[in-house]
Amino acid sequence: MKDFKILEIKQNVFDDNNRQADELREQLKKEKTFLLNLMSSPGSGKTTTLTRTIQALKDEFRIGIMEADIDSDVDAKTIAETGVKVIQLHTGGMCHLDADMTKQGLEGLGTQEIDLAILENVGNLVCPAEFDTGAIKNAMILSVPEGDDKPLKYPLMFSIVDVLLINKIDVLEYFDFDLEACKERVKKLNPNVKIIAISARTGEGLEEWADWLRTTVKEWKEKED
Amino acid sequence: MHELSVLFEIVKQVELVAKKNEVEHIETLILQIGELSSMIPHYMKKLYPAAIEGTILADSRLEIEVIPANGLCKDCRQVFNLIKEKGTCPTCQSKSFELLSGKEFMIKEILCS
Ligand SMILES: Nc1nc2c(ncn2[C@@H]2O[C@H](COP(=O)(O)OP(=O)(O)OP(=O)(O)O)[C@@H](O)[C@H]2O)c(=O)[nH]1
Ligand SMILES: [Mg+2]
Ligand SMILES: [Zn+2]
Repeated sequence: MKDFKILEIKQNVFDDNNRQADELREQLKKEKTFLLNLMSSPGSGKTTTLTRTIQALKDEFRIGIMEADIDSDVDAKTIAETGVKVIQLHTGGMCHLDADMTKQGLEGLGTQEIDLAILENVGNLVCPAEFDTGAIKNAMILSVPEGDDKPLKYPLMFSIVDVLLINKIDVLEYFDFDLEACKERVKKLNPNVKIIAISARTGEGLEEWADWLRTTVKEWKEKED
Repeated sequence: MHELSVLFEIVKQVELVAKKNEVEHIETLILQIGELSSMIPHYMKKLYPAAIEGTILADSRLEIEVIPANGLCKDCRQVFNLIKEKGTCPTCQSKSFELLSGKEFMIKEILCS
């Protein structure tokens, strides 16, 4: 029998990433580039909402988009049609983006020429919640067909976001989605979250969302001046 | 596949420590996972062999210590398990508590040579 020694490590698995995320936020401050991390389940409407958001804000901000699909560039092509800068990140099959990958993505985007960078994270409600990307604000989309019980099933995600968009409200009547009950569940987990009901299809609520984003970016920039 | 990407992250961190300490062979990796963490020990164990293939951890064993989700009752100071008691103090029925443990996700130590 061989002799083994014990090597104590005592290291929080997320520490490394959290540190890199803080460094990235510092860097973004200096470069005056606001980074929004957008998360959701697959198909809840991230790309459609982004397209609308770009249309609403592209005259005010120089926007750059990072698409983090696991292995396709369909979304990047859709976004490219809006005329803003977009890059495809390769997550190598990973189910989330960490701060290091986000930083590389931003380098690819070239932050000097970007005021507002938006990251479309991998479609998934678990992993992205646990890895801080270094974003200034975190947004999440929950769509009506997914059900109003999602806050109960994925509490971490709902508790870390700054803003929640409840999308596809144009189809509310076909689903037993209780909007008020859902909002209440989310507020219980996260009293400070901003909740906006939208339809990326009809455009309902998108003005309020664009206003929130515009104000948040401006306030952040002024704070750093 | 949440657990798999997290395992890759762990392997990366252990490799760094091993290199720094001139470790040649790792027999066992010991993790501490809180009951409230989203990591499921059962899946971690299942995916472990795939995550360590071709790394310094190849052929090592994974051991997981589960840390209980304990709360301290703010009203009567009783310590109780939050999951078992569903967040309510078994002594005074209060729902207000301070979280003492259960959110950990730590690389505790390795047995190595
Ligand atoms: N009815 C309705 N459909 C919508 C709405 N928003 C998006 N969709 C549809 O939902 C589907 C998925 O939308 P995407 O924008 O591709 O969703 P996504 O979150 O980017 O999807 P992934 O990147 O694949 O995870 C598409 O068929 C959209 O047309 C909405 O507000 N109402
Ligand atoms: Mg998409
Ligand atoms: Zn009590």
